[in-house]
Amino acid sequence: MSERKYIEFKGVTKAFSGKPVLRGMDLAIDKGEVMFIIGTSGVGKSVTIKHLIGLLRIDAGEIWFDGNRVDQLPERSLAPLRKRIGMVFQSSTLFDSMTLAENVALPLRKHGKLGHRAALEEARKRLAQVYMADDADRYPAELSDGMRKRAAIARTLALSPDVVLFDEPTTGLDPVSARRIDRLIRELAEQLGVTAIVVSHDPPSIFGIADRVAFLYQGVVHVVATPAELRASQDPIVQQFIGGKSSGPMETPGF
Amino acid sequence: MMFLRTRIEAIGDAVLGFFRAAVELWRLYIATIAGVARGFSRRRDRRGRPRGEVARQLYSIGNRSLVFIIVTLGFIGMVMTYQACLQLGRVTGDYSQVGSQFLRLIISDFGPTLTAMMLATRVGAGIAAEIGSMKVTEQIDALRMSGVLPIDYLIVPRFLACLIMTLVLAILGSVIMYAAGGLTAQYSFGVNPNSFYDLSFIRPRHVVVFVVKALAYGAAIPIVAGFCGLRARGSSEGVGWATTAAVIGGSFAVILLDFIISASALWLTGGDL
Amino acid sequence: MIGNVGAGAIRVAQEVGGIVVLTGQVLRALVPPRIDGRELLKNLHKMGNRSVPIVVLTAFFAGALMMLQAGPFVKKFGATSLAGWGAGYAVLREIGPILIALMFSGRVGANNTAELSTMTVTEQLDGLRALAIDPIRFLVVPRVIAMVVMLVVLTVIGDLVALLGASIVGRTMLEIDWSTMYYSFADNLKPYDFLHGVYKSIAFGVAIAMSSCYFGVTVRGGAVGVGRAVNAAVVAAAVSIMLLDFFLTYLTG
Repeated sequence: MSERKYIEFKGVTKAFSGKPVLRGMDLAIDKGEVMFIIGTSGVGKSVTIKHLIGLLRIDAGEIWFDGNRVDQLPERSLAPLRKRIGMVFQSSTLFDSMTLAENVALPLRKHGKLGHRAALEEARKRLAQVYMADDADRYPAELSDGMRKRAAIARTLALSPDVVLFDEPTTGLDPVSARRIDRLIRELAEQLGVTAIVVSHDPPSIFGIADRVAFLYQGVVHVVATPAELRASQDPIVQQFIGGKSSGPMETPGF
Repeated sequence: MMFLRTRIEAIGDAVLGFFRAAVELWRLYIATIAGVARGFSRRRDRRGRPRGEVARQLYSIGNRSLVFIIVTLGFIGMVMTYQACLQLGRVTGDYSQVGSQFLRLIISDFGPTLTAMMLATRVGAGIAAEIGSMKVTEQIDALRMSGVLPIDYLIVPRFLACLIMTLVLAILGSVIMYAAGGLTAQYSFGVNPNSFYDLSFIRPRHVVVFVVKALAYGAAIPIVAGFCGLRARGSSEGVGWATTAAVIGGSFAVILLDFIISASALWLTGGDL
Repeated sequence: MIGNVGAGAIRVAQEVGGIVVLTGQVLRALVPPRIDGRELLKNLHKMGNRSVPIVVLTAFFAGALMMLQAGPFVKKFGATSLAGWGAGYAVLREIGPILIALMFSGRVGANNTAELSTMTVTEQLDGLRALAIDPIRFLVVPRVIAMVVMLVVLTVIGDLVALLGASIVGRTMLEIDWSTMYYSFADNLKPYDFLHGVYKSIAFGVAIAMSSCYFGVTVRGGAVGVGRAVNAAVVAAAVSIMLLDFFLTYLTG
């Protein structure tokens, strides 16, 4: 029996108000890789990664992380898991009543056992890592989307997680900011050994930085392949998505 | 020293802002009265819309608040009687006046005032929310473009309906309060219902005060609520603030009017209530 | 029509259940009391600032009103020494706590619901969970404590201001002089009358805080939901205040 994969989804099923979204999804992710999850809107990409840290509960199936089963942990026991797996939300979810530095300092204060001033110091260093040191004392509302996204990444990295989940990190960003984010994600994986799971439908990102790509279609993983394999694929559905064609064998987005 | 100055400046600003708002409120009130007058003069040639709107508002306001008023005033009636009897027992032990005095208080004060405060929360919030969301979705501007005065279409019907409804609900609420009070006195303190339900102390001037207050509150609540609604800014959050302001402003206006009317009544009758 | 009432009743029961569950969570988070001090201070400051002016004004006029009602009656019977008692006990035991609680709910409670529901809608609560920070402990508990403490403080201040208002009316309109007024308060109002009102304000504070936080955290439906949550919180708080007043009056007499 080969060693278990780092992160594994087995037969994951989830329905919302009777409408099935995930129908027995299987996916295995290796340590240290950058895995992209792609698919049309509403197909269940964000839902998938939210299950990993228990923000949503699966209806059936199993989720494994580093040799432990995690889908059935009660809310109280999820803290250790969430310190090892961080998530950057699509809307950045920075706390608008705090400056960037205070935002990044928050997890350091709560979990890093640092005092207020020490935590702010450390927070500035983290912001410097994402090239945001100059804006450390500004409020999220004053900044552009790209800058907020980088600050959110800094906050997620504050606890040095082993895995980081990215929910559409480049959606809505101008091309230059988007490529910067891509580079940041790649640096995390290569320099810090972080495993990155990225939900995206941004082709430059997908073909720019992914190690492997999982294509979600009709509630299951239709295909898992490297970007090159994906480009060369003869599967008509894959071709339609990659080529961005509005007509083809794909049914209306998602189902 | 600087601290003191900024504080004083802040208070000054607040007072000025308050006066400015008061002037605006008054203007809105006059405009509404003018709108009502316009409506009457037009009654001959164009029935239909203005009338129907008032009826619809009556229904909406009355329906929404009926149960709330009955339950709340019932409870308060019970509690007040309980407290009063408790205190009387402590000081004089004589319950013979409780019913008649309680009735006087209900008619000259609590009946209309408490009803109005409940309505300020329910109805005031509703009006502010409706008008507020129309403002932020620019429907008010659209109305103006098509030649309809927002005052006529939006505020006047609500004004008239609230005027009538407050009076009606105040009467109903007062009856409930009195009845509930009597039951409490009877079952907790053994007061004879016959001695409790005593109307002999009620004078015409009490009833006049009742009607004046009910009408004053009924006028104030929709004006304040409409004012807050028309000032709503931004998005749904702005509507939320407008609603809160309407509730607070309406409640405070009720208390202020209560004080003014009661003091005037006292002064006019030469200190005899 | 019956169907409507039934559906309404079920919804109310669900909400009451939800609030009770949230209260349980808050209580559990208080033992052991590891509260975020910064959040607590920030909220105390914010809520106090917002509510003091309106409460003080309202209390003043409420006290004045009570004196207008009770004063002439008492004076007619020549018992001016009881004037303070007449206005005083109503203010301390009922009018003060209830009125101040209603104003507080409309101002601070509604604001708090709006803030929390906006945070929920913009996924900031999920963001906290993803950082392994319990939103209840970090956000809700400090606000609940701040609201209860604030309301008690405001009730005490408001009671005093109301008595002041009553005295001023007594002096200017009924020609009852200060010393008579003072003695009528001191002789006839027992400390328990004051405490009775304070106990009530604690209960009201809890009701307002829990209702405000509950509707803030369970909001659904984007910006429109925020408005609905605020409305629901204010109405629920008002109803709870009435009910609690009823029960507390009878239980603690």
